[in-house]
Amino acid sequence: MSGAIVVSVCAVYLLACVALGTLSSRGKAASTSLYVAGDRGLGLLLMYFITGATIFSAFAFLGLPGWAYSRGAAAFYILGYGALGFVPFYFLGPRAARLGRARGFVTQAEMIAARFETPALAGVMALVSAVAFVPYLALQMKGAGLVLETVTDGAVPEALGAAIVYGVVLVYVLKSGVLGVGWTNTFQGVFMIALAWGLGLYLPALRHGSVTAMFEEIAASRPELLAAPGLTSSGEPWHWAEYSSAVIVSIIGFSAWPHLFMKAFTAKSDETLRRTVLLYPTFQIFLVPLFLIGFAGVGFAPAPDQADQILPHLLMRLELSPWLVGLFCAGALAASMSSGDAMLHAVASITVRDGWVTALSRRLSPDRELGAIRALVALYLVVAYGVAILYDGSLVFLLLSAYGAVVQFMPALIACLYVERATGAGVLAGLLGGSALTVLFVAFPELRPLPIHAGLYGVTLNVALLAGVSALGRPRASSQTFLREAAGADAGQ
Amino acid sequence: MRNLAFFLYALVCLAAITWPGLGWLTARAPALVLGVPTSLAWNVGWVVLTFFVLGAYHLTGRRR
Repeated sequence: MSGAIVVSVCAVYLLACVALGTLSSRGKAASTSLYVAGDRGLGLLLMYFITGATIFSAFAFLGLPGWAYSRGAAAFYILGYGALGFVPFYFLGPRAARLGRARGFVTQAEMIAARFETPALAGVMALVSAVAFVPYLALQMKGAGLVLETVTDGAVPEALGAAIVYGVVLVYVLKSGVLGVGWTNTFQGVFMIALAWGLGLYLPALRHGSVTAMFEEIAASRPELLAAPGLTSSGEPWHWAEYSSAVIVSIIGFSAWPHLFMKAFTAKSDETLRRTVLLYPTFQIFLVPLFLIGFAGVGFAPAPDQADQILPHLLMRLELSPWLVGLFCAGALAASMSSGDAMLHAVASITVRDGWVTALSRRLSPDRELGAIRALVALYLVVAYGVAILYDGSLVFLLLSAYGAVVQFMPALIACLYVERATGAGVLAGLLGGSALTVLFVAFPELRPLPIHAGLYGVTLNVALLAGVSALGRPRASSQTFLREAAGADAGQ
Repeated sequence: MRNLAFFLYALVCLAAITWPGLGWLTARAPALVLGVPTSLAWNVGWVVLTFFVLGAYHLTGRRR
């Protein structure tokens, strides 16, 4: 009976997502601009939830409590980088949006390729994005499958659970594009916030009496968990250099993620974009209860097999109401889907617009372009599902390498929107050199001269190459016009 | 002037949420403040403060 209740709650949630996602584009004519950029008409509510809920991934509901549970204060770096993480977008976003409105850009790579008149840049960025998004998407699918398998005691296997959940995502992303992503993310965002605070206050109270009592007990029994920079995954004290560089790299790279940056081209106005950034910290505060959930698991016996399972493990062992377990399950699915749908939509759009149209200079009619993006949505979903089910190696390794490479987009974005002296060759050299060094240090961390985040070495080399190679060449004559257009209303401030 | 002030705030904030700021705090402050870990309260405080500082930057920009 209890299993039936859990499955029913999840089924109702999934049906609500299908309904909302498919109805969101009703009555609107299909076009690439509508499908990819929402006809540049998204208001503050949708922008707020798209950016916020996209960040609230399966990691937030599973990995983050797992970090707090096993690594203590190390997890707080995720909160710390949120203080400044979206600030670069406050400055870059409106400039990109103006160029998008004037020149029809819907991705960051086509903007950069146009500025430097170097189509190869778009191809490299499309490739890096695809390599980054497939393992990321596969992780979201695995998270969704794992949650369903755990809360149904194996009645719904991981592979079937992931297929059902992402079948729903496929339906609304195919039908409605960014509008489907936006409206479902709004629903999922509200749902996740309510659930995170509910569980974040309830579980510590259930286990320890109150949040304060919980932390007093941990301070007495495991004080090392509460002091920054926390612990490594093996339980040793984490190095300040690793903690600090993780914060810095995250701040640099956060706004550069294509599925976030592309939203600059969807906003109704510059003011909407700026307000979205202003309000973002309110979403960041919603991570706090997820830390509380992780700390609530400290000292719980029996311990879960993996730290990431602490939340479902607690819910199953504490013999809670099946309604609550069902709601948690739906919340975790919401976290997975709200990131997965945005990535899926972004990577398909990027492959067609940046890879096929811009880098390879293949023109497509509007109908064929939209058809190609939709076909790739389905194809990427199948590939990521295959990776999630069949690949036994370290997805996290792939993900870290790809993340390190995506971080390298930020110097290119700044050069594109602010630096007249930068050249296409400089940006390309920086992107390739920085990505290669990051991947090398992710693969062989013992080669790093100092214990700092691999991505920071990559960004440093990236900037050095960008400046050095640009100094050897001459900027395009069109750079001034491009930058004046980007500056728009900012000029003179 | 406005841009410089915000840039300086961002640098101070970055130093505060990493080493040396957070390291200094961890070495000197009690483990808990207001019933939660000091480093958690510190990070939440900087997120909230940045919200207001960026808000002020935004509003003064609109007036210009």
